[in-house]
Amino acid sequence: MSRARFWRSLVPLFAAVVLMTVGAATAMAAGPYNASVDVNRSGFNPPCDGDVNYTVPKMQTAAKAAFTRGGYLASDFTGTAFTRAATLKRTPNDWGYYVHSHGDYYLNPDGSRYTGFREDSGDCTQAVIFSKDIAAKRLGRESNLVLISACHSADPNTTLPGAFAIEKTKSIGNANQGAEFYVGFIGVRWDSDEWTFEQRFWNSLAAGKSVGASFDVAMLGAWNDPAFDANWWGTYSWSGNAGPWGLCKACS
Amino acid sequence: MTSLINRTRGLGLLGLALAGLLTLGGATGQAADPFVAGSRSSRALSAPPDVLARARDHGVALARALGLPVASAKATRVADVFDHRTYDEVTAVDAHGMDVALSRFDLDGSVAMALALGWHANAGRGLDGPAAAARAAAVARAAGLDPAGAARARESAGAGGWSVSWARVVDSVAVRGDGLRVALWPDGTFHALTRTERALAAPPDARLQPSAARAAAVAVVAGRLGSAAADLVAAGPDLAWIAPNDALGGPRLDAPGETLRLAWIVRFDAHGALADRLRAVEVWIDAGDGRLLGGDVAE
Repeated sequence: MSRARFWRSLVPLFAAVVLMTVGAATAMAAGPYNASVDVNRSGFNPPCDGDVNYTVPKMQTAAKAAFTRGGYLASDFTGTAFTRAATLKRTPNDWGYYVHSHGDYYLNPDGSRYTGFREDSGDCTQAVIFSKDIAAKRLGRESNLVLISACHSADPNTTLPGAFAIEKTKSIGNANQGAEFYVGFIGVRWDSDEWTFEQRFWNSLAAGKSVGASFDVAMLGAWNDPAFDANWWGTYSWSGNAGPWGLCKACS
Repeated sequence: MTSLINRTRGLGLLGLALAGLLTLGGATGQAADPFVAGSRSSRALSAPPDVLARARDHGVALARALGLPVASAKATRVADVFDHRTYDEVTAVDAHGMDVALSRFDLDGSVAMALALGWHANAGRGLDGPAAAARAAAVARAAGLDPAGAARARESAGAGGWSVSWARVVDSVAVRGDGLRVALWPDGTFHALTRTERALAAPPDARLQPSAARAAAVAVVAGRLGSAAADLVAAGPDLAWIAPNDALGGPRLDAPGETLRLAWIVRFDAHGALADRLRAVEVWIDAGDGRLLGGDVAE
């Protein structure tokens, strides 16, 4: 075989190696699946309050641990690390998101109302992060699992699911709208009930139940407020794990 | 005290209860580990095959009684250190092998929870409140439970339609979180039910005066919020049984307390600038000795 013919015979092999390398790089670029956990501790802790409220740190610890169990690269932020600017900077790269804060259907300077929540910022003057702000940063980028632990986050008029590109529809049975699930609370809720709901939800996910089944199990908690309510949108039978579609481990 | 278990109806509960009682002692002890936030609260325990087989049969019978298309089931004994409860969990599947129901039984065989898996589209004509309450009572009786007292029916997105509850009341005092709750789809078909009846501490020999409880609660919020406490308006106190917690400080409790205590509840609603970051606070004062048992915050 001539030297030129030998090298020509290796072209397909080189091409295959290049394609495999590019493919692997693309896959790596898609990962890791980041999840951010933002928790407002200052609202009812020092410096705004003289004593420590243990409920909120528990929520932070549990959420970070749950996202980590689900295969996300989870990071948690509170105090001066949980600001409007920092959250909006991170959100385009987040597949999972959890926030615990003061939430409402706030009036935006543009004259319209949007669902939102307050930053922590380490002080007692806390700016609102509107769904509109998040949507502008994410630009329709899809999400996996989003739990908004804030009042009014799942009211019928909530605008937050759309900011995370999660349709406000419930996909059940064989239907699915992808690996996505949004959970929030309806109306004004007490921390203790939110904590009970969240712990049951995370624990059920860890046991391999689907996100929908985990929501159902979490709804059966013993509430201090008998009117406790929450809602969800997304795909009931999804596992909750980071990444593309995956069925729950414990489902038949 | 109101018992929720129907002693006369349904599913052969008595025999199962007797069987469950035989295994009660050892398993309860296994559930005594404290819960730490961030960890899983439940874990599977070993149980004799015949015990699990009875639980499985119980789960199948319950699911069928609730109208669910069950072909087979599997049972697991689970200890949950968040709920301070050990139970047998039964997952039922239909003829296609799809999970269709989840049920939990206390170790005495009584129904703790039942759930139809999946979600229903809003098909069919919706019930009104009284019809939902009547339907929920029928569902509870089909599960072998005996709803007693006044039912409270409310529309609930999380329940998928209606949430109908019977609160547990002891000597005219509400036990927060305890009782029977049934969730129905809008057309009245079964979605879920849960029954909670936690342990109560002995009531105090002498009850703290409401005025003293209110003063103690005011002192708590004043100590926490300083001058901002002026933006709080107090209501109460009201008596209730509560699960102690660490929301307002005190010893660390990652799960609500296992034994409920009688408390005076004082609620403070926020106004003015404080309401931007805090909506309401509850302070729970022991109805006997006046110490702080916990509380709650609505942000």
